[in-house]
Amino acid sequence: MLETKGVTIKFGGLTAVNHVDMKVRANKITGLIGPNGAGKTTFFNCISGVYTPNEGQVLFNGKNIEGMKPYQICNAGISRTYQVINLFWKMSAIENVMVGMHPRLKSGFLTDLIKTPAVRAEEKMVREKAYEWLKFVGLEKYADDPSGSLSYGGQRLLEIVRGLASDSKILLLDEPAAGMNTKEKAEFDELLQKILEKGVTILMIEHDMKLVMNICDYLYVLEYGKLLAHGTPEEIQNHPEVIRAYLGGE
Amino acid sequence: MYLTLLVSGLVIGSIYGLIALGYSLIYKSSGLLSFVQGDIMTLGAFLGLTFYSYLGLPFVVSLLLTVACAVALGFALEKGVIRPLLNKNVATVYIVLATIAISYIVQNGSMIAWGSITLNFPSVFGVGTVKIGKINVQPEALMCILVGFICMILLHFYMTKTKLGTSMRAASMDAMAAESCGIDVSLSTGISWGLSAGLAAIAGILIGPIYGVYTTLGAVIGRKGFSSAVIGGYGNMYGAIVGGLILGLVETFSASRVSSTYKNLIAYCLLLVFLLVKPTGIFNEKAVQD
Amino acid sequence: MKLQKNKLTALILIMIAMLLPLIFSGSSYFVLIFCFIEIYIIGVSGLDILFGYCGQVSLGHAAFYAIGAYGSVLLHKYTGMPVLVTMIIGSALGAVVGAIVAYSCSKLVFHFLSLATQAVGEIIYILVSHSPNNVTGNYVGMYTDPVNLFGFKLDSEYKFFYFALGCVVIFLLAKQFLVNSKTGRAFTAIRENVHAADGMGINVRAYKVKAFATSAFYTAFAGAMFAHLVEYVSPDSFLYKQSVMFLTMLLFGGSGSLLGPILGASAVLLVNESLRSLQDYQMLVYGIMMLIVIVVMPGGIFGLGKGVMAKIKNKKLNGGEANA
Repeated sequence: MLETKGVTIKFGGLTAVNHVDMKVRANKITGLIGPNGAGKTTFFNCISGVYTPNEGQVLFNGKNIEGMKPYQICNAGISRTYQVINLFWKMSAIENVMVGMHPRLKSGFLTDLIKTPAVRAEEKMVREKAYEWLKFVGLEKYADDPSGSLSYGGQRLLEIVRGLASDSKILLLDEPAAGMNTKEKAEFDELLQKILEKGVTILMIEHDMKLVMNICDYLYVLEYGKLLAHGTPEEIQNHPEVIRAYLGGE
Repeated sequence: MYLTLLVSGLVIGSIYGLIALGYSLIYKSSGLLSFVQGDIMTLGAFLGLTFYSYLGLPFVVSLLLTVACAVALGFALEKGVIRPLLNKNVATVYIVLATIAISYIVQNGSMIAWGSITLNFPSVFGVGTVKIGKINVQPEALMCILVGFICMILLHFYMTKTKLGTSMRAASMDAMAAESCGIDVSLSTGISWGLSAGLAAIAGILIGPIYGVYTTLGAVIGRKGFSSAVIGGYGNMYGAIVGGLILGLVETFSASRVSSTYKNLIAYCLLLVFLLVKPTGIFNEKAVQD
Repeated sequence: MKLQKNKLTALILIMIAMLLPLIFSGSSYFVLIFCFIEIYIIGVSGLDILFGYCGQVSLGHAAFYAIGAYGSVLLHKYTGMPVLVTMIIGSALGAVVGAIVAYSCSKLVFHFLSLATQAVGEIIYILVSHSPNNVTGNYVGMYTDPVNLFGFKLDSEYKFFYFALGCVVIFLLAKQFLVNSKTGRAFTAIRENVHAADGMGINVRAYKVKAFATSAFYTAFAGAMFAHLVEYVSPDSFLYKQSVMFLTMLLFGGSGSLLGPILGASAVLLVNESLRSLQDYQMLVYGIMMLIVIVVMPGGIFGLGKGVMAKIKNKKLNGGEANA
């Protein structure tokens, strides 16, 4: 579904991501792990268009999306969350989700200006649908609260659902469980399953090994920008290189 | 003719450069943009005039007094208005707007204090002109160019070689990290605002004898100073002076060759061209775009 | 329910506004002031779309004000088209210039954006005050005709007042529609977090262009109204001071709201008029007003009012709970 071929990105003399080949299979949870500074987030930024890779290709459903701008990539069906939460703080929770639905709305600038009946109907639909999405993650109580006032876990969930709201095919999650407590993590596991049931594919960066081993179907391990290993969680757990990277050295 | 233009271009260019230095300094130390520079320059010219001409103090003493007043004012502005706003975590744009408000207050305040007619700043050196080659030049003009260069070199040295300068640059990059390294961020930005104001005041007292002193003196020159800073590379000390000189020369020559009516137009167009085509300026300082 | 209440409030406000000229019917001076307030409401609302919603600062809105005014006056003079038509074309011209500025400046960080817009303001000012072949009358300015509504000449303040009121209602309604739509949400998203907006599928540059163009259209239309109200234009009305006045009004009233520009335009203009004898201190007053707003009440009058209302409501709630 999503495939990268030899993606490389350099900052000055430093090669942050070095010839990474990756295949994200449809309707599965793929994990991306690796020590701090391995280039995971940079790699995400390459996929989502924040950076343009110096070399290599990013294929989405067979189409090369490398070089497209972030908004175009979102429109194509890939949405993401951020390592540092990036909500629209002063907008309410429901408005955040409504912004997420932006790529799927048909109204244009001029019709918005005079509020045609079609726009009116669409707005009503948007609000209802956004409320549904909030319900999906259990945030409907806070629909009208500013997103900045939500709890940390709530903000994470809101960011995920904002990404989902664009009806994306792939959701890129950058450390979604960071800062969650054990109970929240258990619920998060369920949520991911629910997202899969909606036919959305997930690619996530995560540090919590227990969580990753439990919920991911397939794993890629990055170290110093290079692909160190890939395989099922069991394979990765027993991979000598991975054990070395995580336990030894540095 | 050619040489005369060259000298007057360099003179006004170094004034722009001095103002630009102040902008760059503030930017380097706090990542902010201050609209007060031009008006502090006007204030500097008026204060210099008052000390030198009305109170009859020697020029050097007047200069030092003026600069001291301006530095104090700059420092007070940072402490009284900018710092509290920063502490309140308001959006940066409001801080910039606050500096516009202050620039209005300073400009109008100096008009109330000194009136709205152009005042004559008496000659500093007593002699009318000095001869360079075939042309006659005001000695004040030469002083302008000289002082501009000295300030640039001192500032560059200060920013890169001294402890305070280094901490200032650190503070602008990451205030929180600098704070945790034991740098007094509030003090270092305060000092840089003070220094910028001092630079503007020097520019004012230098330009006074050449242009005369009036309340909107700084408004136009301040904007040109901005343009210079952008042309040179915003935040770069050499860039500030080089940008100033380029702008001064382009302006002076185009005024004589094309038309003096569109002198300012050309300056603003040059600014826009740089903002759009080469926003990092001549010295490739990455500041303008996000 | 809430919407109904808002509609009712709006209707009452319009009714009161309609009565104003009757109350002050003895003094055409006051009616003229009200006309100016209406013009500024439109101009400042335009700036609000850009600054309050999209978060883009402009220190050159006097340029669009000038383009609307001169565009309409010149078109009317040289083509003889009816004033209302030239007003709209002039405003469209403003929108086009705004779009060009936004397209080229869309990547600048806000302080450099303010610098670029300031330069645009200066360039337009120089062009109208030193126009080639003296087409604009340069510093002398030029006279023009009043608005002509299908043969009905709006040649008095009273007639103009009602025309302007109609314009205010139309423009504010459109603004309200716009900011509460998909487009408006995209604007706010850009204001709140450019990178996240980009990541959510919003074409940031395109929306900045839209915000700038709309904003310029509003302000240019206000400029055209101004020109045909006083039936005269000269460069004096389009100085940098004017751009700052728009911003002062917006900040003072409260940005990002419907009422803010109305309150701000009225308050600043009334202060301005009552200090007419102290005209030398005008800039000082703007400066102090702006500084007070920024330091003490960042939400402007509107924000202040909202805060007070929320407090009263809270108190009532708490009081109710205590009693129960």
